[in-house]
Amino acid sequence: MRPKLLVIAGVLVTPLVTAATALAGNGGFAPVAPESPNAQAIKQSYLFISLFAFAIFLLVEGILIAFVIRYRRRKRPREADGAQIHGANRLELAWTVGPVLILAVIATFVFVKLPTIQDVPASAATSQNLVVDVIGTQFTWQFRYPNGVVTIDRMRAPEGRTVELHITAPDWDVIHSWWIPALGGKMDAIPGKLNKTWFKASSVGVFQGQCAELCGLYHAKMLAAVEVMPAAEFDSWYEERRAQQEAGTSPLGEELWGGTCAKCHGLDGEGGYGPRVAGTDLIKNTQSIEALLRKGGILMPPVGRDWTTAETNALTDYLKEHVGNQG
Amino acid sequence: MATRVEQPHVPAWQRGKVASWLVTVDHKRIGILYIGTAGLFFAISGFLALLIRTQLTSPDNTLITGNSYNEVVTMHGTGMVFFVMVPVLAGLANFIVPLQIGAPDMAFPRLNALSYWLYAFAGLVFCASFLASGGAANTGWTAYPPLSLEAVGNGQDLWILSIHILTLSSAFGAINFIVTIHNMRTRGMSWMRIPLFVWSVEVYAWLLLLVLPVLSAGLTMLLLERQFPDTFHFFRPEGVDRGGSPVLFQHVFWFFGHPEVYIMILPVFGIISEVIPVFARKPIFGYKAVAFSTVAIGFFSMLVWAHHMFAVGMPTFLNIWFMLASMVIAVPTGMKIFNWLATLWRGNISLDTPMLFALGFLSVFTIGGLSGIYLAAFPVDWQVTDTYFVVAHFHYVLFGGSMLGLLGGLYYWWPKMFGRFLSERLGKWSFLLIFVGFNITFFPQHLLGLLGMPRRIYTYRHDGLWEAYNITSSIGSYIMGVGFLLFLLAIVKSVNGRRAGNDPWQGDTLEWYTTSPPPPHNFDDVPYVTSARPLYDLRRRLRESESSA
Repeated sequence: MRPKLLVIAGVLVTPLVTAATALAGNGGFAPVAPESPNAQAIKQSYLFISLFAFAIFLLVEGILIAFVIRYRRRKRPREADGAQIHGANRLELAWTVGPVLILAVIATFVFVKLPTIQDVPASAATSQNLVVDVIGTQFTWQFRYPNGVVTIDRMRAPEGRTVELHITAPDWDVIHSWWIPALGGKMDAIPGKLNKTWFKASSVGVFQGQCAELCGLYHAKMLAAVEVMPAAEFDSWYEERRAQQEAGTSPLGEELWGGTCAKCHGLDGEGGYGPRVAGTDLIKNTQSIEALLRKGGILMPPVGRDWTTAETNALTDYLKEHVGNQG
Repeated sequence: MATRVEQPHVPAWQRGKVASWLVTVDHKRIGILYIGTAGLFFAISGFLALLIRTQLTSPDNTLITGNSYNEVVTMHGTGMVFFVMVPVLAGLANFIVPLQIGAPDMAFPRLNALSYWLYAFAGLVFCASFLASGGAANTGWTAYPPLSLEAVGNGQDLWILSIHILTLSSAFGAINFIVTIHNMRTRGMSWMRIPLFVWSVEVYAWLLLLVLPVLSAGLTMLLLERQFPDTFHFFRPEGVDRGGSPVLFQHVFWFFGHPEVYIMILPVFGIISEVIPVFARKPIFGYKAVAFSTVAIGFFSMLVWAHHMFAVGMPTFLNIWFMLASMVIAVPTGMKIFNWLATLWRGNISLDTPMLFALGFLSVFTIGGLSGIYLAAFPVDWQVTDTYFVVAHFHYVLFGGSMLGLLGGLYYWWPKMFGRFLSERLGKWSFLLIFVGFNITFFPQHLLGLLGMPRRIYTYRHDGLWEAYNITSSIGSYIMGVGFLLFLLAIVKSVNGRRAGNDPWQGDTLEWYTTSPPPPHNFDDVPYVTSARPLYDLRRRLRESESSA
């Protein structure tokens, strides 16, 4: 008898606790605060579906609990028959047609929102779309800008301007999935396939995300972030970074080291999953490093097979200065 | 009356306690072998689940990381799907279906034994994956290429082989079920009079037969490309003239994979449709609707596969098709839920353990169904797919649904299988712990997914809510673990448990007509069947003759 009551109490308390937490703040009861029109429309669709889902939840659980309490055996003999009702066509028709209507309403709402979520806003004369190539590799995100600027794991983007993302993975790599929850849904980075999505950040800040498709050893560490800057600040960063990259003074080498090498070889090159590289002769030899990056080693994947010369140079320079001398 | 059946001659070496089980072709013994073996794999896969939850109690844990974590996740998922749920249902169906249709055995008893032994052998190969160089398979139960092509060592190959063998086992089993149900029903048992569990096994078997060859084909392609990468290029796009596509594998896999979900849940729907009427002392509300909705779900389940792939960048018209088709499945599923609820209406409800599990199933499976609507709406799916929201969703369906229903079924049929009850007291406590633990484990995972936590990661963001929900989830999993230990204790104690008569629950279907446990030939005689509830009719006629006499 007592377990029965406990179960009933548990069933009653769970939604109450849930509702209380939900009122206290978004705590994961809905997608994170959207910072882009597509994420916004997804969240609206989510909340719209929730209206019906929550109502159906209450209806079903309510009926279930009410019936179990109302029609429990009490003092009747165990084998006494209940009412011998074999069905009711009208009632059954009602709970077939009802869900069809609800689903039709949900589908309609989603289709109305679809253009806002899916279609890339057209470039305007005043605000050209910025196209960024997003390339997922084990276990790093590379962002390539139209002017040749490359950044690793952290994308910079202007506020209020549409950013088109062309997402893929190199032919020899595996599938990854691009996802910054505040800036919209996921899009897989698939070898041999180009996928497109976009965002238009509505406020300045750093928005976190990470790879959402199991991609191997360090899938859990394949983080991504989008740093949204005021448009003017972005423009100056964009030009400055290009100049730095050409002059060989950009932080690209350090970013490549942190994003690509350090996950296996340790942040100081002390070794980890991969061997210790700090202070080795190899690390100072630009040619062998390049060969290793392009072709891979025994266990090491060819992480730099598709890198631009700017990237390879940036990394070899960084290695010579920072990793080669250690140890 | 029993003189009709002649005992076949059994050679002396086959009569031993162990040997008789090894050579058995009796569907009841094979069923028990299936259930026992699946129980063993449940213990292994469940232990792996607890390892996962223990690693995730804190973002800095180093219990299992990197590839080891990926191995554990892969083997947990594969184990639960292929080596627990599908075979345990095959085992239960093996035991119950011939009894429910009044047959002396399955149509092909030796093929039946072959199915079981192939399953056991596949299980050995699967476990051997742990011992392979490079460790067990570590690319997820979905084994997406190119990752699964890259995987070093032979763990992935053994994984492929084990599932290959298993698909043969299941295909033979499916043929056996279909032939048995079509040809061996007792006199009077027309299609509208077969028990609903048998209906669900019929659809389960057809689904297995239709989709398993597709999985076999996909796995063969994967194996060939792994072993002969210079010759075969199905999935690897590398090079201009070698045009493979990684997405192709996903289509092949999910064409099998989505019906697989229904393969794991439909027979449980059948169990629920047996248990609820018996413990509410009513006929099922809308027999035809429940039976035909099972067929409808089976059919539509083969048209929705790519809703697992909304993020691969399909054309919009395909996204729309797979969204609408997925939503359509919600309709027959909803029908079932309301029909079960209506079966409770004006009943005489006894809350014994099988009924508790059935009602628990009803309450949490509903949540799993509702969270499915979010995943069907593809723009929303873009936000929640491949996150813990999905993990929560399919555990609400496959654990809260399949597993709770299955435990109810075991409690319900245990007296028939072994002639003794499982302890009601332990049963109620284990139900309580499993039900509460389940919700504590999996409800917060919806929230983690919405906060941005992807699946299959061994470390996560240092953030108050992420850590709070993860530790809550882990605590819930330990509570469930205790619940399962109590269940195990109930099984151990049932050896000396209370004896059950032929018909301890006053059931309506034919398995309760014979002794508990049934004799090797099942029935000495079978009453002519005049409705979907032959034993109810029998009891009523008995009462009428008593009162008139």
